[in-house]
Amino acid sequence: MGRKILFITTDQMRYDAIGANGGNVARTPNIDSFAANGISYDRAQPQNVVCMPSRSTMVTGQNVGTHGVWMNGVPLPVESPSVAAVLRDAGYRTALIGKSHFEPLLDPFLRFEENQQGFTGATEGHRGFDHMELATHGAAGFTHYSRGIRTNHPEAIGMFFQVLDGDLEVSDVPGGDTGAPQIKRNAVPRDWYHTDWVADRTISWLDGLNADDDWFCWMSFPDPHHPWDPPESELHRVNWRDLDLPAGYPQNQAEREAIIDSKPRHWRLWYDGQLVSNYEAPGKWVPATLTADQILEVNAMTHIENELIDEAIGRVLAAIDAKGWSDDLDIVFTTDHGEFQGDFGFLFKGPYHVDSLMRLPLIWRPAPSAGGGIDATARVSKPVGLLDLAPTFCTIAGVQPPDWMEGRPLPIDDADAHARGFERVTTEWDSRQPDGTEIHLRTIMRDNFVCTTYQPGTVHDGTEGELYDLALDPLQQINLWDDPDRRSLRDELLIDLAAHFVEPREFRHAEAPV
Amino acid sequence: MATIRSHARVQRNADDVWKVVGDPTRIVQWFPGVTAATVEGNIRTLTLAAGLPVFEEIVTLDHRMRRFQYRITGPLPVKYHLGTMDVIEDGEPGCLLLYSTEISPDPMAFVLDGVISEGIGNLARMLNDHTEDER
Repeated sequence: MGRKILFITTDQMRYDAIGANGGNVARTPNIDSFAANGISYDRAQPQNVVCMPSRSTMVTGQNVGTHGVWMNGVPLPVESPSVAAVLRDAGYRTALIGKSHFEPLLDPFLRFEENQQGFTGATEGHRGFDHMELATHGAAGFTHYSRGIRTNHPEAIGMFFQVLDGDLEVSDVPGGDTGAPQIKRNAVPRDWYHTDWVADRTISWLDGLNADDDWFCWMSFPDPHHPWDPPESELHRVNWRDLDLPAGYPQNQAEREAIIDSKPRHWRLWYDGQLVSNYEAPGKWVPATLTADQILEVNAMTHIENELIDEAIGRVLAAIDAKGWSDDLDIVFTTDHGEFQGDFGFLFKGPYHVDSLMRLPLIWRPAPSAGGGIDATARVSKPVGLLDLAPTFCTIAGVQPPDWMEGRPLPIDDADAHARGFERVTTEWDSRQPDGTEIHLRTIMRDNFVCTTYQPGTVHDGTEGELYDLALDPLQQINLWDDPDRRSLRDELLIDLAAHFVEPREFRHAEAPV
Repeated sequence: MATIRSHARVQRNADDVWKVVGDPTRIVQWFPGVTAATVEGNIRTLTLAAGLPVFEEIVTLDHRMRRFQYRITGPLPVKYHLGTMDVIEDGEPGCLLLYSTEISPDPMAFVLDGVISEGIGNLARMLNDHTEDER
């Protein structure tokens, strides 16, 4: 009997969302306990800051340029390699419960396997998962969760925020006390909400296993990704009027806009509502209209959703403990990408490679029975990426990571990271919109610097960039790209980026906007 | 408004290809996710795999030009749509199959681009393999 693996992901969660990383609003005792008894990674980055590319990296252990899911809407080919298949072949029982998003969600012709299974209720899984029960951010679409709501609680369908508007654009309908986009008071009972559903279905799957089974379960919560519509019964947890504005939000408008103007021009174009750079944020919403109160209310909703996730995790841990598996259980907790949550005056995400979107919570709580010299209270400051997760799971299972995985097993402390050369992490963005808008970013993070170069597109000519000194400017408000004193540093980082970045071999068809 | 286009060369003569393309009910043989198609007058009604209907107006069915045009009228969230299929004799062996679409809102272009590309591929394979008569 080997080690069990519980892989917990959230969607669009910031590094500072949890107590263990300095968050002081949402109560996250279960997640914090992973950090208290495990390894926290203080510089974990996704290889792309939207869902499908990032999740494809998690399941393949590959760079975006290799797995080819270069933007949302591009499906991960069914024949792509999968860590779940590796573990299954090693004798593990495997499941993915919650949000997968390896294939487009907007699929009226029902072309994609995950949507077909959600529509019919089949759970046989694919991509190496024996079992899949899928959910996304509400009651729409072809997921097992939405099927359950439609079948058992049809009155709840209209309670959720409707994510797409009549133009099939991401909706900017305002709500809440402040009129912030994508906030809705949701009358859905808590136990019908997708967070608790993911925990319930995980417990149900675990209940079906034999005591001596080895298992890998990816428990994937759709929250705290927008829309911000947690169950209304839970709104008492955090009053937005009691919150402080984020440190990353310059309250003085002139100061805020000067910071934005120091960055490549798509920042200001989006801020003023003159550019829709990507589908993931409401196309009709103008960030310049965002008020301080709206930021606070969005943050309050996010904290509430994070508390619900933590409590759902606690229920799953109790179920695992009741089965006597806790000593043999490895837990890995992370998310696919971050969220602005008011930083620089923005919400949502897009081609903006700053810590709001790129710095992720990542914790590995090794199985207590594993021992092996792991300092289970380490904090790793060296950069790691989500592409390092799949080989880590292999190592936990006692399997040699296959050659097609491009990441490496996560370091267990900074000395290990140093010895194995964890010096840099790269992140990319590519997007093409139906109106022809194209944006391409290539980013390297190393030595406490974040350096982004822009390839030619319809907004940039290829000369633009961003360079931030995280030690002196952790909020990334001072763009050093054009600072002559940093020119040699910039050149050195770009050479290193070029040497380690995996360029896409082709840009496959997007099959849906998301 | 977004414009998309897919094409395929088919190793069959244009008349053979038009027998399939020019019969609006035969879309079920090659278009992904379409399980039924009926035509009454100039209205084609499709049934998708999820049970959803799609209502379409047949705009052009020109056997001489070998051109089929249609508009989606509901209930997909379409503000404007015109789909055009042309079967073209271009002097080369076989013929050229061209599927052009104008659509608004723009996000629907992503959805249709993928499914039409797959459909055109299916249709070309079916015709090249001479399996279109296995109805």
